[in-house]
Amino acid sequence: MRRLTRYVALLAVGGLLLVACEADEPEDVVDPDEVEEPDEVEEPEEEPEEEPEEAEEPDDVPWAGYEGGEDGVLRVAYVYVGPVGDAGWTYSHDQGRQALEEAMGDQVETTYLESVEEGAPAERVFEDLAREGYHLIFGTSFGFMDSMAAVAPDFPETVFEHASGYTKLDNMGNYFGAMEEPRYLSGMAAASVSETGQLGYVAAFPIPEVIRGINAFALGAQEVDPDATVEVVWTSTWFGPEIELEAAESLLDRGVDVLAQHQDTPAPGQAAEERDAHWVGYHSDMSEFAADAWLTAPVWDWTDYYVETAEMVWDGTWEPREVYASMADGMVQLADYGPAVDDDTQAMVDDRAQDIIDGTFAPFTGPLYDQDGELRVEEDVEMTLEELLNMEWFVEGVIGEPGE
Amino acid sequence: MLGLERRSDVPAWIYVAVPVIAVLLALAVGAVFLVFTGHDPLTVYRVMIQASFASTFGFADTLVSATPLILTGLAALVSFRVKLWNIGAEGQLYIGAVCASGIALLIGESLPGWANILMMLAAGAFGGMLFILIPAIARAWLRTNEIITTLLLNSVALLFINWLIFGSRSFWRDPAAGQFPQGLRIPDEAYFPRWGATRVHLGLVIALLAVVAIWFVLNRTRFGFRMKILGDSESAARYAGVPVRLMVVAVLLLSGALAGLAGAADVGGFSRRLDPNSLAIGMGYAGIIVAALSRLNPGSVILVAIMLGGVRNAGTALQSLPERVPMEIAVMLEGAILLFALGSEVLVRYRIHWPWSKGPALDASPEEAEAT
Repeated sequence: MRRLTRYVALLAVGGLLLVACEADEPEDVVDPDEVEEPDEVEEPEEEPEEEPEEAEEPDDVPWAGYEGGEDGVLRVAYVYVGPVGDAGWTYSHDQGRQALEEAMGDQVETTYLESVEEGAPAERVFEDLAREGYHLIFGTSFGFMDSMAAVAPDFPETVFEHASGYTKLDNMGNYFGAMEEPRYLSGMAAASVSETGQLGYVAAFPIPEVIRGINAFALGAQEVDPDATVEVVWTSTWFGPEIELEAAESLLDRGVDVLAQHQDTPAPGQAAEERDAHWVGYHSDMSEFAADAWLTAPVWDWTDYYVETAEMVWDGTWEPREVYASMADGMVQLADYGPAVDDDTQAMVDDRAQDIIDGTFAPFTGPLYDQDGELRVEEDVEMTLEELLNMEWFVEGVIGEPGE
Repeated sequence: MLGLERRSDVPAWIYVAVPVIAVLLALAVGAVFLVFTGHDPLTVYRVMIQASFASTFGFADTLVSATPLILTGLAALVSFRVKLWNIGAEGQLYIGAVCASGIALLIGESLPGWANILMMLAAGAFGGMLFILIPAIARAWLRTNEIITTLLLNSVALLFINWLIFGSRSFWRDPAAGQFPQGLRIPDEAYFPRWGATRVHLGLVIALLAVVAIWFVLNRTRFGFRMKILGDSESAARYAGVPVRLMVVAVLLLSGALAGLAGAADVGGFSRRLDPNSLAIGMGYAGIIVAALSRLNPGSVILVAIMLGGVRNAGTALQSLPERVPMEIAVMLEGAILLFALGSEVLVRYRIHWPWSKGPALDASPEEAEAT
């Protein structure tokens, strides 16, 4: 959206210049015309019914269910926050969409809207899709949550599914994945490859999700090298290749030799490649962008969830869920290794992955100390999901502030 | 020789014909672009009109988008009328939103809704005025270039609202939104009433009232008369005893207040919280375009704002076409319309002197032409 603002600003400056030039004419001041009384206000809407808007809590209309559609096709729409070509978050969801099409063939018809603004502007987008008759609508950014929740009660026959949020209504569920699991594994790989023990993290916003990822990465690294440190630089972007590149370079300047990241672009990898450093990507297999630097990445695979959800809607068995899926479920995974990760390391990390999948190991298990060396989690105690979702402190060995 | 000559009198039809032709030309240029990128321009335009103007809900959303543009358009108009260039409506809008949401949260449920809404509007206008106060004073007494000061303050305001929501535990931030920072919702009572099932809200009424009020001020008050004199010539104004410095400050404050109202309208009618994502979409900058296209006429601001609001809203609809026209085409069209509309302004005031036409050549003012 910043880009749009910039265009508009440019246009505006152009407009201004022209007005300014014109205004220099000694204008015979045209008498400002009579104000046309705007009849538009009265126009929209015949039925002034009390609209059931903004219901935070479930209203009394239960989800009515998919009734086969006129043509027997389940129509599924995806609303993305970024461009499908971002190689990251949105790309991963679009891969899931394509996989859904493949899996269900003629039963489904999918569409997507990309680069949709978050917040109130998205309300219109979701409402339009629902009105156009889409049966199942996925919104894949946190900032869509309230818009979806505002629209959902008006369309009880449409199923809304929101990624990364927490609102549940009669016809709206939410889903997300335990990315800290593969994060931890990627930290192990990073520390194994690092020569200096100094790892860097190009971080997005100081919020629990990102902090959790950094901590998981650091803990994984410390399993391999107890002295490993993780330096954090915040970019305040989810998708900002230039800033992310600069942040990556500043970390490399400080002697970091492996970078990890949270944003949607492969920019940190390109910075690492240039300096012969190494890189842990995120979201999707980004190895093609910096093949030599590439180690691995924690990645999303939404396929199973999307197929499963669409089938439930098709069968009429869908009901709102709150899903936090794990490596065992397959929603979060570790990407393929790059050439820099040797066989021993791969075997070690794979073993750990198996422990996680088997449920015999959880990354956030005590004893855990914070940056000040204070014991935060007692020995053998596992942090609860609730605690993880609200994590706002860095573990020992992380360099940086868990806030701006 | 080909050239321009000043029209001695401007026929009335030309005021209508020129903008219409400008829009058509812009669409034609857009069509060339679309054809070269492999899209069918007729389909694209049909979809755009369908999405933004031809359906009840589409048009309602166009009005929603037009609401802040009317107010920021007026903000630019007021200052441009006296040749003051307030480019900071963008920032004044943000600060207006900060004040409006702040007051709504402060009041909470302690006052009835209508009182809360009134306070929000007042706070919004106040915020906009506050944020232009320094540039206004600097312009009036130090002759500091207000283009630069207001423009730079836009970045300050943007960073400020981002800090309020993303960078700090401010009063505006929702303490419960642990996973992702967002503004705290204003109380239900403070929501602007909406029109039926659409999202058209009270802000539109406020914007239209503002148009009427500005028209009245410009044409029926001493203040408006002084603005006219000041706009024509500062030295004449001084000679006529107009308190120039106070006028400069007052006009800029009025401009800031209008932009601040747009911020309040976003908070109360649209976002219902301080939301940098939905604020920072260039509504303030677009106001400059609106003012320019309206030829600084308050009434025309409404029409231009609705047109631009529609063009902007059509962006997402284009993605529903099977061949996925990029939504940036909407921005491009906006630019092309502006360019042609402003370019064609020349034709309102001048006529083209073709090489083969008779009579006195260019640049001669009508009087001189008669003299020769």
